[in-house]
Amino acid sequence: MITTNNLSKVYGDITVLDSLNLNIKAGDLYCLLGANGAGKTTTINLLLGFIKPTSGSSFINGLAISENPKKTKKHLAYIPENLMLYPNLSAVENLDYFSGIGGNQLNKAQLEGFLEEAGLQTSAFHQRISTFSKGMRQKVGIALALAKDASVLLLDEPTSGLDPKASNEFGLLLQKLRNKGVAILMATHDLFRAKEIATHIGIMKNGQLKQEFVADEISLGDLEHAYLKTMEYKEAVL
Amino acid sequence: MYKFNFIYELKGLLRNGWIQLLSLLLFALFFFAFYNGHEKVNKRKSDILAAHQEVQESDQVMLKQLDSVERGMEVTASPWTIPSKPMAVGNYHPRVAAMDPSNLAFISTGQSDLFTHYVKPKTSGDDLALNFTEITNPVQQLFGSFDPAFVIIFLLPLIIIAFTYNVLSSERESGTLRLLASQPISLASWVLQKMVIRLFWILVMISVILTIVFYINGSDRSIASLLPVFGVTAGYILFWFALAFIVNLWVGSSAKNAIALIGLWLLFVLLIPSTLNQMGSTLYPMPSRTLMINQLRNAKAEATKKQDEILDNFLRDHPEYAINDPNQGRSFYHRYMASQQLVREELQPVIQKFEGQLQNQQQWISQLKWLSPAIIVQQELNALAGTSTRDYESYRKQVTAFAETWRQHLLPFLYNNQPFSSQDYKNLPVFEYVSLESDSTAKSTLVLAMIALGLVGLGFVKGMAYQSSRNIITP
Repeated sequence: MITTNNLSKVYGDITVLDSLNLNIKAGDLYCLLGANGAGKTTTINLLLGFIKPTSGSSFINGLAISENPKKTKKHLAYIPENLMLYPNLSAVENLDYFSGIGGNQLNKAQLEGFLEEAGLQTSAFHQRISTFSKGMRQKVGIALALAKDASVLLLDEPTSGLDPKASNEFGLLLQKLRNKGVAILMATHDLFRAKEIATHIGIMKNGQLKQEFVADEISLGDLEHAYLKTMEYKEAVL
Repeated sequence: MYKFNFIYELKGLLRNGWIQLLSLLLFALFFFAFYNGHEKVNKRKSDILAAHQEVQESDQVMLKQLDSVERGMEVTASPWTIPSKPMAVGNYHPRVAAMDPSNLAFISTGQSDLFTHYVKPKTSGDDLALNFTEITNPVQQLFGSFDPAFVIIFLLPLIIIAFTYNVLSSERESGTLRLLASQPISLASWVLQKMVIRLFWILVMISVILTIVFYINGSDRSIASLLPVFGVTAGYILFWFALAFIVNLWVGSSAKNAIALIGLWLLFVLLIPSTLNQMGSTLYPMPSRTLMINQLRNAKAEATKKQDEILDNFLRDHPEYAINDPNQGRSFYHRYMASQQLVREELQPVIQKFEGQLQNQQQWISQLKWLSPAIIVQQELNALAGTSTRDYESYRKQVTAFAETWRQHLLPFLYNNQPFSSQDYKNLPVFEYVSLESDSTAKSTLVLAMIALGLVGLGFVKGMAYQSSRNIITP
């Protein structure tokens, strides 16, 4: 579960995140939409403990992040926009390494099982990551979350640059995780994918959460309209 | 975490060829350096051997001549070189006072390419100003010798820098740091573990190389002689790893880290040692050697003018020589040796000043050597190799003492007008160099390890702040 209470971050005179309140429950997939600089990545960086908030608080499964940085990381998995792994190691080795240093020792069968569950083709298991496409690397990222048995998943524009098929596969994987009870926060520009997979959608602008929707209660057209209105863009005339 | 870091770091380094390259480089550098060191030692040994052989040959001639004299036969040689005259023995058949290289001399050339390692003190020689310097290749003096000490002190830190400067920054630059930092680990511990793995590999390589070299060397294969060399080298390596650890956490991008570490290398390996050296010479300037030799010549000239008066005074001071001194027996050497004694006494203050300043300089460097691990290691390796300034200073003193023994052994023959016989040959004094024991290696190794631990501790202080800073996102 992810909770933020009036979470704010200020750099000098610039407020990059302004009193953000979120409550993402187990099994929820919350998509944060917004233009570049809206504060989506800052939110994720704060939840990862990479930066300290100026004010407010945030919690992972009820644990305050600022007070328990290591403990909260045990519960969460993170997939950045461009997931970089060790190019000289294979998918299995990368998975073994990142799980191992986090204290999660797995055997070969378990490692291969998680990669399979994440949708990576068997032939790629022992190939070096340097030969992988971005979509394949993102699948290893999902395998990492599965291996870690993370209850919280943070995703920062994970589908940008993926072809529609890979993006669709990735969406399906996230839905599987959601069904397992994982609380997911995904920052994205992809309105279509957000509508497809999210349970909740929030639109951010200038560090503020401007609007929130339950995904099932809004159509893609209305979501796009709301987004453009929030961004103060003129709608394209079709 | 350590097990996984160890296995995968090793795999990564092997797969990108770093380990192979590093191992080859270390082997090539060290073996070339050890070869050079051995060649220098062999040259030194053969020089000393040649000098001993020369003396042996000269002794054979001397014994034959003595035999002829004792049998009352005529000797076909200049009268002043016939060895029945004690001064002929003292001047034409001197002993070799050699500084035999120690078993570890190949480790560090030290001062051995500046000072001579054997002399033949004569009774009438100027042992006060014994020439302990040799003309050496100026290019070699400029760059030093490519010996193991050079590789350890100058090149090894550069290899360590190349091996460690981007442990953390490369993770940021390749994008893996964000994923790493999202794991429940301490980044400072993680960096330290990566460093320890690399440190482990270098230490394994160094110990393998040293063991092979000591085995090949053959003269001393004991662990007791290998350990101090390994210990002080390991301490120095530890220092550079600790410095790289702190720079990784403290500085930022790979380029900045590399520049910072190269700057520290310049500071510790070149700037501090040369500044201390310069300051030592400025604070405790050595009296001019030319001036000392001029004073020696003047004193000699003065003494020559009044040799008869000096001889009378000398015999008054040494009545044991006067007993058997009928005036008609006085020769050139009676006067000369007496005047030499006077010259020696007159020049004592000049020599003491020279030695005092040399001692001050050494003390100054010794006190401030803790400012640079490079100086500590150089001094320790020189001491272990028996090629330090202290060793040569001890050798010089031993030679001066031996020259006096040599003179004092032959003076009674001269003043008692007693001929030197073949029976006296076996009683001629022989020089034996007593090497100094190096007793500070353990202390220096410990100090280097303590400095390294201090730096690692400082790195952890920074590391705690690092994990929750923007450094993970931007350098």
